[in-house]
Amino acid sequence: MDNVLKIAGTKKSFGKSLLYTLPMFLITFMFMTGGKPDFSDLSSALSILVAFLLVNVLYFLMHFTGKTDRYRVVLFIIFALTLSFTLIKNMIAVRNSMSFSQADILECKIPFCHLVIPMMILPAAFSKSIIFPGSILNGFANISSMLVLWGVATLVLGRGFCSWGCFYGGWDDGFSRMRKKPLLKNINVIWKWMPFAVLLMVALTAALSLVPTYCDWICPFKAVTEFEQVTSVESAAKAGVFFSLFAGLVVVLPAMTKKRTQCSFLCPMGAINTVSNKITPFTIKIDKNACTECFKCVEVCPMYALSKENIKEGKVSIFCSKCGKCVDACSKNAIHFGIKGIPAGTLKNFSRNLFLFVSFLFMAVFSAGSIISTLHSLLKIIF
Amino acid sequence: MWPLLSCAIADAFIILKKKPAMTDAFILGLSSGSACLATCGMVLFPYLMAGSAGVRRITIDLSLFLITRLLVYFILATIAWYFGQVFFSNPVVRNIVPGILYIVFAVMLVWYSIGKSRNPECPAKIVSTVNNHKLIPIFLGIVNSFGFCPALFIILTKSATQGTIVQSYLAFLAFFIGSTIWFLPLPLAGKVRKKEVLKTIGLLATGLAGIIFMIKGITNLIGGIING
Repeated sequence: MDNVLKIAGTKKSFGKSLLYTLPMFLITFMFMTGGKPDFSDLSSALSILVAFLLVNVLYFLMHFTGKTDRYRVVLFIIFALTLSFTLIKNMIAVRNSMSFSQADILECKIPFCHLVIPMMILPAAFSKSIIFPGSILNGFANISSMLVLWGVATLVLGRGFCSWGCFYGGWDDGFSRMRKKPLLKNINVIWKWMPFAVLLMVALTAALSLVPTYCDWICPFKAVTEFEQVTSVESAAKAGVFFSLFAGLVVVLPAMTKKRTQCSFLCPMGAINTVSNKITPFTIKIDKNACTECFKCVEVCPMYALSKENIKEGKVSIFCSKCGKCVDACSKNAIHFGIKGIPAGTLKNFSRNLFLFVSFLFMAVFSAGSIISTLHSLLKIIF
Repeated sequence: MWPLLSCAIADAFIILKKKPAMTDAFILGLSSGSACLATCGMVLFPYLMAGSAGVRRITIDLSLFLITRLLVYFILATIAWYFGQVFFSNPVVRNIVPGILYIVFAVMLVWYSIGKSRNPECPAKIVSTVNNHKLIPIFLGIVNSFGFCPALFIILTKSATQGTIVQSYLAFLAFFIGSTIWFLPLPLAGKVRKKEVLKTIGLLATGLAGIIFMIKGITNLIGGIING
């Protein structure tokens, strides 16, 4: 049985792919419509239909073609773009600006994102306070819903969250695909430890100042979401840091290196997710019997998670975000999605199907709201 | 035990929250302490532990080393504050010069943490010239404190710009506490499995502290120029 799977790879017939897509079809339908499709508003119905078709066609193609990353990245980039659009639209509707004022901070109106979590732990443990000026239960992007979503996703996917759940990752993933060949190749891998240093610094500075310092001073994605109103030299410096880091780490370096440099060299959440890779059931495995050591997987890995030594040892490092790029690049099907406890080279299709269902479902459900909202807004603008 | 510890840490956070200069100094100490340990730890470790008769001896030696460091820091705080009073009395100079010094020392700190030409030798290596074992921890404390690294230059600048001498002492105290945390587990250094990884993270954190102070310096400098 397993030999048959090995020869056939991960491609499936049209009918079988359709059958595998059926559960996704039903669940996403339930999530997007709430079980009661409403066709009274044409633009709403149309945006739901387009979003629904988009996620299901992509999932179907993953099974039909056997390629994972090729279709994952489409939804991942759309997720990042539509979330920024939705967030900015929401900010402009509520505040008439992308920037927030001191009054918004005092009234706890700042949308919460998972990048704040590393800074919340120490103050919450020692001073019993949440240091983010957001709503705990109500409103757009509240603290509790984001905590639950991130917690569940990280437990199940580990650093897979960075490639299947993070609504910022699509930005540098997208820019990292702009060139066919990298301009910059020899980057010292010592930098992949930088997220841990950032985590250490932001966790401590946040605990000591009771201010989410990463959001306050560093986060490059402030450039495409929201930032503090420029009213002083300090706020101007902060805006300068946000835009410089966005331009450098999210646009220029990914385009030059073909790597996700922001995720690999800066994100403190990435450091936590890297450690969580130790406890998740899903992993990437290397079948040493099938591997010809061509090192194509090392070349394409966007997270510096693979090295020639890793391949020779038959082990993927904990930096892996399970994006599937290496799996797509391997013509021998030697590197594959796997489950801890099951030996490499066995149950390849079963492991992939299970991982894809869980991870893609999470991304589809998580991204649906912003995709529908963006489509709805665009349709309203057009018509 | 945990509620008491939790309350103590919470109180420490509250004190630091009210004193931003101490917070900066503590973070600087904490981030540069790892780099200091990375370069000096392997020199300090054998001398502190060699010939020791157990935990009691190690504790006494380590305490002597740390107390000496603290005393030297207080002397440096006094000198820095005095020079600050003399040279930074003009408000324009007080606003602009520390900003420039921050930037220069922060660039040095970044270079120190990532530069390939960084001298990895610990200044305390000359300890081998001291024969009296009992004096070694004290000698090490003095040499280690005077090992003028960019982090110490930054804290000297911060100390020089404090309003009172007590604030200057507090800044150095916070720097001392931050850097001391790294020295406390020194006796267990041999048991840590991923020393290289910790060293790398520590050095990168030092570089980050440098970047933070560079931005602070630029902000101070521009603010100083605008405010005249």
